[in-house]
Amino acid sequence: MLNSCRVLDLTNERGMLCGQILGDLGASVIQIEPPGGSPVRKLGPFFEDQPSPDRSIYWWAYNRNKRGITLNLETAQGRDLLLRLGDGADFVIESENPGAMAALGLGYNDFAARNPKLIYVSITPFGQDGPKAHYADTDLIVMAAAGPLILYGDEDRPPIRMSVPQAYLHASADAAGAALIAYYELLRSGEGQAIDVAATQSLGLAMQSVMLAAPIRASDTRRMAGGVKMGPIRVPLVWRAKDGQITAVFLFGSALGPFTRRLVDCLYEVGACDEAMHNKDWIAFGDELLSGKAPMEEYERYKNVLAEFIASRTKAEIFQLAREKGLLMAPVATVADVLENPQFHDRGYWQKLDHPELGRSFPYPGPFARFSRTPITYRRRPPLIGEHNAEVYGELGLTAAQIADYGRRGII
Amino acid sequence: MANHLPLDDIKVLDFMWVLAGPGITRTMADYGATIVRIEATGRPDPTRTVGPFVANDTHPEKSALWANNNAGKLGITLDLSKPAAREVVFDLVRWADVVAESFSPKAMRAWGFDYESLRKIKPDIIMISSCLMGQTGPLAYFAGFGNLAAALIGFYNLVGWPDRPPSGPFSAYTDYIAPRFGLAAVMAALIHHRLTGEGQYIDQAQAESALQFLTLPLLDQAANGRISNPVANYDPNFAPHGVYPAAGDDQWVAIACRNDREWQALARAMDRPGLASDPRFANLAGRQAAQAELDALINEWTARRPPRETEHLLQESGVPAHAVQNAAEIYTDPQVRHRGQYVEVPHPVSGTAWVENSRYKLSRTPARVERAAPTLGQHTQYVLEELLGYSDERVSQLAVDGALS
Repeated sequence: MLNSCRVLDLTNERGMLCGQILGDLGASVIQIEPPGGSPVRKLGPFFEDQPSPDRSIYWWAYNRNKRGITLNLETAQGRDLLLRLGDGADFVIESENPGAMAALGLGYNDFAARNPKLIYVSITPFGQDGPKAHYADTDLIVMAAAGPLILYGDEDRPPIRMSVPQAYLHASADAAGAALIAYYELLRSGEGQAIDVAATQSLGLAMQSVMLAAPIRASDTRRMAGGVKMGPIRVPLVWRAKDGQITAVFLFGSALGPFTRRLVDCLYEVGACDEAMHNKDWIAFGDELLSGKAPMEEYERYKNVLAEFIASRTKAEIFQLAREKGLLMAPVATVADVLENPQFHDRGYWQKLDHPELGRSFPYPGPFARFSRTPITYRRRPPLIGEHNAEVYGELGLTAAQIADYGRRGII
Repeated sequence: MANHLPLDDIKVLDFMWVLAGPGITRTMADYGATIVRIEATGRPDPTRTVGPFVANDTHPEKSALWANNNAGKLGITLDLSKPAAREVVFDLVRWADVVAESFSPKAMRAWGFDYESLRKIKPDIIMISSCLMGQTGPLAYFAGFGNLAAALIGFYNLVGWPDRPPSGPFSAYTDYIAPRFGLAAVMAALIHHRLTGEGQYIDQAQAESALQFLTLPLLDQAANGRISNPVANYDPNFAPHGVYPAAGDDQWVAIACRNDREWQALARAMDRPGLASDPRFANLAGRQAAQAELDALINEWTARRPPRETEHLLQESGVPAHAVQNAAEIYTDPQVRHRGQYVEVPHPVSGTAWVENSRYKLSRTPARVERAAPTLGQHTQYVLEELLGYSDERVSQLAVDGALS
């Protein structure tokens, strides 16, 4: 779909997924690294736990479908080469601290003066300006500032983040959508623009709107082990089955109550609950709890009945029941379980990419969407350091001798 | 700045519901697309029953979750069991550039609204179906909310303490990822349509989109055979790295040292120069080996002061740190204010509604977030008369036939 588009990707771990999405959609993406390789290549885990820039799984994770070149932006010739590459590009994506690219003479205005059609995407933790724009950051810091962190974890311990970094992935995926909105507009107006993506703001979508509670004077939502406290109601989402954890939704109201109705019917059928629980009005029960008409102890009693039922079944039995009866329950799977899940094999999801220099191939997560006419293809494993220097600089018109000379002088 | 919005020539017929789907069309509305959102009086969107609610009032027009996901859309009610309502849908398909739906795979087929049927009346239509597990495969009909997909594909097992069962991320996690990929997919299809005139069908499995965010542990598992399990706030590349207590109720501060220099700056800020120069802590491996010892020292220091004081002190020394903010603190956060992240829009029931702004800034064609989410059936008449050109009589007849409820 984007086969005619050319992308210069200058990002580090804050932004690599954005270019990968554009690459998946067909764009020609050139990942640009400093000589010696991106700092991301120093991040583990490493293949066979042997630290080496071309064995960083962190690097592999978000650089497929890209070519890779090295370029030293500390040198004037290096910066000039980048601007020349920018003349033929549709997108530049960068994730440096605000102002850093402009200080090098590589900000939006520097590119746009030569190529007004360019779309220049900046991904930062807090945005391009404002009182915290220059805050030092990591995934954890962004999660703390944006709100998800306070909602994760157990109430008797400090908040915790997801054990795999997520904040910049949300921002990078947003950046791809924003870039394509701007590109669609470019097809109409012929003009490019700059895009400012802040990871803290992107994470707004990761909290189910509970961060709007303050201006609308609603109860706060708070963390609890394996669930969430919505005002006074303690809602468990993780339950213990015979052989591990499952998730189950046990909620009320006109939309969720009918699922609880079906679940309680199942409990009743096998003798796991009494007549009173079976006859409960699950649509009204939430409002009854909130108004105090029903005591919280009653809710706790029902939760205990359900907990006992779940604890007497295996994860597989629970999932089978959920699928048969249309219940909101599913096993808590490990990453290893996911690789075995027949659903993804049936759909041909995993895409093997060869790493010939290692003599191995690995199953990468497959297409994020299936297009009937223009399917996503997996064309390239993540590039080695400077793997495509000759090819890309050749396309720019440099001779082999010039490329070798630039290499010797530490420019590329 | 341009005086048009980037998507103001795009028309979307939106059957999407709950969270993962409507997030796509909400963003398109921010950038000018006309979105006609279908509901039924007998089956309103489930998010209308989920909080947070304005002043905790569970009225269906007072859910901020509904408000936030549907701002700027036009709302129409149709009873799709009525043949006359289905004729309205076909007219809307002829009007639309994009049809978007997020039911379980059988629903659209049952109504005769599947892609093969719709392309017969509009050959270049773009259609996206977004469901939990995809349109095909043994779990195609496994429907539900994003917490189920998040558990099934590994996210729930990646939040927790090593000595306790996994706690899971906050709620329906895949619903927070899928709309970002869904938007990119729809925009790519619209670009392809603009360049070639061709429409197409997009099958988005929310699980398959969300798995992109787990590429790191999936490849680690595939390449190294290592199962990723939750490690609380441990980070393989940074130490110290954690959330520490602060003065006040449920007040915390997050601190991370990305390198040796930041560790030394932290030690100096704690007024512990001896730590800064202690060779045991000079590098990452040493600090990770002594994590419990260092965490106890940091705990003792942070617990004495409010989190924002620690945040400012450390940020001034270049050390990544931030108060762990709750809803009230984010609302008054100066950076959030600076970016205008909260927007107040007029609302027919509540007076005003609060929604989030567009999540990103386009310099020449910025988003406009000016309209609330529709009340149930708010724009039925407008859509039928102004967008489809129906006569008063035809609209009245549809109402009499019960098609508009």
